[in-house]
Amino acid sequence: MRISLNWLKKYVDINVENAELEKLIDSRLVEIEEIIDESKKYENIFVVEVVECEAIPETHLHLCKINAGNHELADGTGLVQVVCGAPNVHAGMLAAWIAPGAIVPASVNEDAPFVIGKRKMLGKYDSYGMLAGADELDFSTDHAAIIEIDPAIAKPGDKFADVFELNDAVLDIENKSLTHRPDCFGLIGFAREVAGVLGQKFDSDSIEEIAPIAYENAEKSVSISDPEICSRYSAVVLKKHGEIKKKYFGLTDTILAKAGMRPVDPIVDATNYLMLLTGQPLHAFDYDKFLAVGGTTEPKIGVRLAKEGEKLVLLDDSEIELVDTDIVITSNDIPVALAGAMGGKSTMIDENTKNVIIESAAFSLFNLRKTQMAHGIFSEAITRFTKGQPAYQTVNVALHCADLLKDGFVVEKIIDSGYEQKDNVVKITTPEINGLLGTNYSNEEIVKTLENVEFKVAADGDNLTVAAPAWRTDIHIKEDIIEEIGRLNGYDNIAPVLPAHATAEKNKMVAIKSQIRNFFSLTGANELLTYTFVHGDLLEKVGQDIKNSYRLVNSISPELQYLRQQIVPSLLVKAHDNLKAKYSSFALFEMNQTFSRSTGVDEDGVPIANNNLAMVVADNSEETKYYLAKKYVEELGKKLGITLSFKKFVPVPKEAFYEPKRSASIYIGDTIVGCIGEIKNSVLNKLKLPRGVAAFEISLEALTEFATLKKAAPEISDYPTVSRDITVITDAPYESIFEKLQDKLESHDLVFKLVPTSIYQAEGAAKPSLSFHLEFADKNKTLESAEILAIMDELEKIA
Amino acid sequence: MSMQELEKLKSDLKALNAEYAKIKDIPAEKRAEFGREMNAKKNALLEAIAKAEEAALESEIEPLDITAPTAPNQPIPEFLSAEGGSKHPLMTELDRVIEIYQMMGFDVVEPRQLDDEYHMFDSLNFPKGHPARDGYDTFRTEEGYIPPAHTSTMQNRVLKACKKNLDEGKNIAVVVPGRVFRNEDVDTTHEHTFYQCEGVYVSKDCTLGNMLGILREFFEKYYEQKLDISTQPGYFPFTEPSLEFKIEKPKALGGKKGEFIEMLGCGMIHPNVLKMAGIDPTIYHGFAWGGGIDRLVMLRYGLKDVRYFESGKLNFLKEF
Repeated sequence: MRISLNWLKKYVDINVENAELEKLIDSRLVEIEEIIDESKKYENIFVVEVVECEAIPETHLHLCKINAGNHELADGTGLVQVVCGAPNVHAGMLAAWIAPGAIVPASVNEDAPFVIGKRKMLGKYDSYGMLAGADELDFSTDHAAIIEIDPAIAKPGDKFADVFELNDAVLDIENKSLTHRPDCFGLIGFAREVAGVLGQKFDSDSIEEIAPIAYENAEKSVSISDPEICSRYSAVVLKKHGEIKKKYFGLTDTILAKAGMRPVDPIVDATNYLMLLTGQPLHAFDYDKFLAVGGTTEPKIGVRLAKEGEKLVLLDDSEIELVDTDIVITSNDIPVALAGAMGGKSTMIDENTKNVIIESAAFSLFNLRKTQMAHGIFSEAITRFTKGQPAYQTVNVALHCADLLKDGFVVEKIIDSGYEQKDNVVKITTPEINGLLGTNYSNEEIVKTLENVEFKVAADGDNLTVAAPAWRTDIHIKEDIIEEIGRLNGYDNIAPVLPAHATAEKNKMVAIKSQIRNFFSLTGANELLTYTFVHGDLLEKVGQDIKNSYRLVNSISPELQYLRQQIVPSLLVKAHDNLKAKYSSFALFEMNQTFSRSTGVDEDGVPIANNNLAMVVADNSEETKYYLAKKYVEELGKKLGITLSFKKFVPVPKEAFYEPKRSASIYIGDTIVGCIGEIKNSVLNKLKLPRGVAAFEISLEALTEFATLKKAAPEISDYPTVSRDITVITDAPYESIFEKLQDKLESHDLVFKLVPTSIYQAEGAAKPSLSFHLEFADKNKTLESAEILAIMDELEKIA
Repeated sequence: MSMQELEKLKSDLKALNAEYAKIKDIPAEKRAEFGREMNAKKNALLEAIAKAEEAALESEIEPLDITAPTAPNQPIPEFLSAEGGSKHPLMTELDRVIEIYQMMGFDVVEPRQLDDEYHMFDSLNFPKGHPARDGYDTFRTEEGYIPPAHTSTMQNRVLKACKKNLDEGKNIAVVVPGRVFRNEDVDTTHEHTFYQCEGVYVSKDCTLGNMLGILREFFEKYYEQKLDISTQPGYFPFTEPSLEFKIEKPKALGGKKGEFIEMLGCGMIHPNVLKMAGIDPTIYHGFAWGGGIDRLVMLRYGLKDVRYFESGKLNFLKEF
């Protein structure tokens, strides 16, 4: 939303510098995205009188002599020569002259602003500067004519910017933070808040342009199918009694333009101007067309929901198919407008319009939001309606519109469905206000703050009875009043104070994730974060059932359409990218959430989240990375005080991409907590990865559950340690041998350390040789040679 | 499946292609049907061949001893070199954020990455169908689940779970760090996937001044310097009053006097939100806040492009 500072100043006495004002508005009302300085935009543009104007034969041009005051370019007669192509140029008019050297305002923001100069026209006429149309002055796209200025407000030589208050700054407001403040979408409402922020008392009734206009005999002749969709519908019928000659360029044109709107015609401009001023959108129907559509002699206005299959041609010539949440205005039950959004073509006003219906209504913001979404209409009107414009001012704004048009129209009839204005009273105490804010405001300060923005307050000591004004439909509870006090006096004036605090509970999973992150990064692995959403193609490439993934219906792209069931596939993609980027060996890990539809929902009815730790180990060697991956997870287990075991692979469907002959299920006790393995060659081919890539994915919930702080005290013997190597030739699984050796050592009263050193299998040999390094000592005595031999003998018999 | 069987499938395919040539001898009106039949057969064969080839690929594979420390004749693997390892900068910083809040007495609860309309909006006092819901650009699954667009989805759960603290005369003090999602176009400063940290505090007598105190304390600890703060009125249906919170850009990060940067949204918890969690708003007040972590980290490291975080690029990650 754009707000002209000059226009704002008409309604509130701004007694601070712009920078201070910006700071105050920013910290107490709404975020200002930027202040657009327009003070230079209309420099070197003057009001001039066209003194002589002669048609140049066989062209559409006129040779004009203009009086620009005592301009330095004036010739001996005090006039400047300029050629003008506009059909409405004539002697005696006041026009806007862009002097040589000035920038055409419409081009100010372009990369190469257009600088006006002196030109020779048709090879013989010197032309200095140009007489400007509304388009060049950046007020409209109308290129048909030059603007004409009312001699009652300006004289030749006046600066154009001074006459039309264009030495201005425009506040660009972030709408989002005013979502709940429909009143601030009108200038008056905004000005009221600025007054409040400045500590000044605002008085709406003293503003002539919105002061209540008395009226009698409003007809109730509107049929509203459901008050939920339209809490009030008002209209005034205007009969034409004269011509509105819009001859002169006026302040209203500049106000519309500065707000980002375009002047259209006097009637539409009046409705738009009042919307900008009051926040109440208006719509003008051609009265006679309205009757013709309905086939009635009196307007039969209806407001109802659209019916399935109904169509409507809008003002912009587009035909839309209405949906059953759209509100339509009807003439004898035939839709003529999409309420709150856009008028219909069939009742559009045009240059032949004689009589007019000015609609001023309050529609359901919920329906209009759906209309906005269904038809993609984002007009100034619907932007206001979707904030929930209140119903209190509908008739009055329509009557003010009639007043603006009184030169051409007279009020024939006032129509109003009526509504019930409910009192909006909140009872609150001063301690409640100060207690929530952490402040010490006195009763007087609180009352004044509220009264400045036209709340009515009855104070009985600390007990305040606060009546919100009609436009503050957002006020319901004590906290709403507390917000007003805190905000208008500045939250920044509240002292930050730390509250007392207790000791935090440790979150075990967070602590374990931190521990994992530290351990893996210190052992050369790299932590990644990849997207929760993946491409359906990836799911298919790794053989996961695409139907087991939750699918987004509004994904940004197919690449981000499905929720991943596991993390490893995402890491495999990144492994490919990094190998391609010339990293030849790495271990990528990620801790994140995964979802599968088959996992079901929790007690809240939302899908169960599985927190997983995943790692992919890859290099260019084509050798298996299984054992390195295993080392990472196994050593991690030790760090966390968990014994992990690796047993026959029992895959679930989402683990289809692991090579079953070269993969294992990871167990804690009897529970499978994850899996580890090489990736299938067919999957590696599809993902363009070399052979041997291995991965694991393990449940963080399980690691968290079983991790223990308890550390076994290391056993130490005070007697000499024996150091031996031992080799076992066997084709039994490695672990079974390892366990047998361990069991055997444990059967003696020994402190020992058994470390694998190699697995060797000579070419053609039937069984591999498993070698270990062994250190042991008796707990209670020095071992004799014979005892050592006996132990070693026992160990060597294993296999 | 043996190689012979694969060969047979391939020759079947050849035969089928040859048969297809007969289409020109078929009466025009029957050609379409013939074509369909042939195509169906061809697709079935192609699928069988693909499966057979895959099976052939897998059949050569030798099992490995899943319990061993290494493969025969291979050295026992060593961890990769420690210098090459790295923690993700977002996670490192998130851990720091958590640590600071824990020192200030806040418990940590992690959010979920798939939630529902109730926790995203209803429990946070967003009226049904209200335009304020549009501002969050939420993703949705077919079932209507929502990958959360803010960590506030956890407020209702946290309040309900910690209500017992209040009954025991303690406060509720919880932070919720986690991943959130918005359906928006990605550029150097916008990501559809990012991290937030939510804070929730409830007690009998806490004030807006306390909220400002906690937030200032956090940022001073995080940036390791004294900081000026400032605020701006905001609008969130779940807090009343609602504010935007800014800090003076830290000197170490090139900030100038009076240069403020927006860090988070905050406010006093709306009584309806407390009510929906079974907490009596006439006895207890609370405040809550939520802010982006990515931005915090970008500022700290002087990063210019948010897209690096989820890029998985080692040239970026190895720098941390």
